[in-house]
Amino acid sequence: MSRTRLVHQALCYGSDDEFLDGTLTFVRDGLDAGDTVLAVVASHNIGLLGEALGHRSDEVEFVDADDWYGSPSRTLGRYNDYCAAHDTDETGRRRRVRVIGEPVWSDRTAFEVREWMRYESLLNIAFAGTGHWILCPYDTRALPVGIIRSAVRTHPELALGPRQSAYCGRYLDPADFYAECDTTRPPVLPAGRDDVPFTRGRSAHVRRAVSAYARALGVPEPLTHDMVSAVHEAVVNSVRHGGGRGVLRLRSDSDHVICEISDTGTATASPPPPPPFPGHLPPDPRAANGHGMWVVRQLSDLATETLDPSGSVVRLYFRRSAAL
Amino acid sequence: MDTVPVPKAVGEMRAGDHLLLGYGADEERETVVATFLLDGLASGHRGLLLGPADLPADLALTFLESRGCAVDDELAAGRLTVDPHLATSDGLWDLDEVIRRETRRAVGDGYLGLRVSMEVMRGQAGKGLKTLHDSELLLEPVFASLPVLGICQYDRRVFDEGELAPLDGLHQGRVAADLVWHDELLSITRTFAPPGLALAGEVDDTNVTALARALHAETDRARARPVNGMRTRIDLHDLRFIDVGALRLLVFAGGALAASGGTLVLHGVAPHIQRLMRVTGWDRVPGLLVEQTHL
Repeated sequence: MSRTRLVHQALCYGSDDEFLDGTLTFVRDGLDAGDTVLAVVASHNIGLLGEALGHRSDEVEFVDADDWYGSPSRTLGRYNDYCAAHDTDETGRRRRVRVIGEPVWSDRTAFEVREWMRYESLLNIAFAGTGHWILCPYDTRALPVGIIRSAVRTHPELALGPRQSAYCGRYLDPADFYAECDTTRPPVLPAGRDDVPFTRGRSAHVRRAVSAYARALGVPEPLTHDMVSAVHEAVVNSVRHGGGRGVLRLRSDSDHVICEISDTGTATASPPPPPPFPGHLPPDPRAANGHGMWVVRQLSDLATETLDPSGSVVRLYFRRSAAL
Repeated sequence: MDTVPVPKAVGEMRAGDHLLLGYGADEERETVVATFLLDGLASGHRGLLLGPADLPADLALTFLESRGCAVDDELAAGRLTVDPHLATSDGLWDLDEVIRRETRRAVGDGYLGLRVSMEVMRGQAGKGLKTLHDSELLLEPVFASLPVLGICQYDRRVFDEGELAPLDGLHQGRVAADLVWHDELLSITRTFAPPGLALAGEVDDTNVTALARALHAETDRARARPVNGMRTRIDLHDLRFIDVGALRLLVFAGGALAASGGTLVLHGVAPHIQRLMRVTGWDRVPGLLVEQTHL
């Protein structure tokens, strides 16, 4: 089977044999074709696949999924960097990158699970222009049925053993899936005494407020820098597109620091529509814009946004014990 | 450890100031001295250049021409003068007398004061710099009592820091080129060895235009300087914050320089700014080179 466009398949497996049935030929075909092969899978599956491949396992880059799937946006950024660094051979000729990507679904909150589902759907857009092949194993023994069901809605194809696949009839256009994910959204934070109002030209004041808040919480310095940068970019966006003023709310619990940036919207009757998938797709380094929201997502652990001409809300979550 | 005191900008000099310029590149000396003398012309002062060699006056002042000064006219009118006194072997001995006399003469000729720029040569410094120290010591009362401002130029490629440090105490401090920009968040200064800019503080949406202007001027200068392979260094060592908009400006400036075969070298980039550059992919765009430094 020679395919040149992006292939993004879900592989639902219920046993070690089914896992190997779905992945072994995929890897061997790739190595035979001169593709780059990256396997980011559960540690148990690294052992299985490595053993089955024998000496050829040296040609595959294995990564433990627990070390890779930190947050959805960063993971997408990471795959993007990996593919950019590996999509040509020594002579500069294009080569396909084959990825076995097994996201980590355990120990995730409902909110995080939804964002990982959104991520799976976004891969179809982020890598649309490439010829890469992404195979995503789903362990039906361990995963809740809701997660398995989402796989056929976020993957255009279902892998069925060696070189077999079927189109997913229930595959949803990523824009529609994105909108569906947005229907459940945490309520806006209530006003507080320490809210930080901002207006045009006052971003330095916001940065001071964020670092003071982080310092008081004992947040480590690198994470403080990330928070300051991410909040700053969201504020600058609000000032530019959201009527020139807004408010920053800073909250924290034992797990996260939460920064919510909201604005009052524009007064114009027909403002330009917000970009699709804001900040989710890696911008061209040479592009004149589109880096702000990308940076916001890359520097935070999770970000939700409601971009609306009558008032936008961007909420950023930072894990206080940032593992990645 | 760098113990050089914070220098005063040449544009902030006042009567009575007697400052030391330790320069590392000719462009630095010319930039500072030109500002000093042109400010003098604007202030009703006479400018006096005590040069290290016996050059024709117009030749000694060519560096003012490129900065828009009609040197011949100023020399003819007596507003600028060049004196080879320091070029003589014992020029340092009566330097205080020369400046006292020249200041009185300038005032007598109707000027509001005298600006004197002196280049001190290594060979004249005397045994263990004693002659030089004595001479500088005698200058201080002259500057304290008369309407005169002075810059003593020392070439750092000839005098090392260990020799210059004791001389600091015989001056009221050091002088440097004017700031390119200064606001409550950011200061931009020109650097000369290597050529480029130093940014200190924070760049954000409020002062990004100042950075754009400074970068534009600096890349223009780089293009006029083919000897260095058009490398311009931006020193970010004292930069605490830069946002995506301003960082993109550095990328564009680097790209523009790369188009004419040059490079924008970023020096002293803090880890959190390097991270921002990695995330945006701007750590691997043509024309921009992140210099690895120990921070």
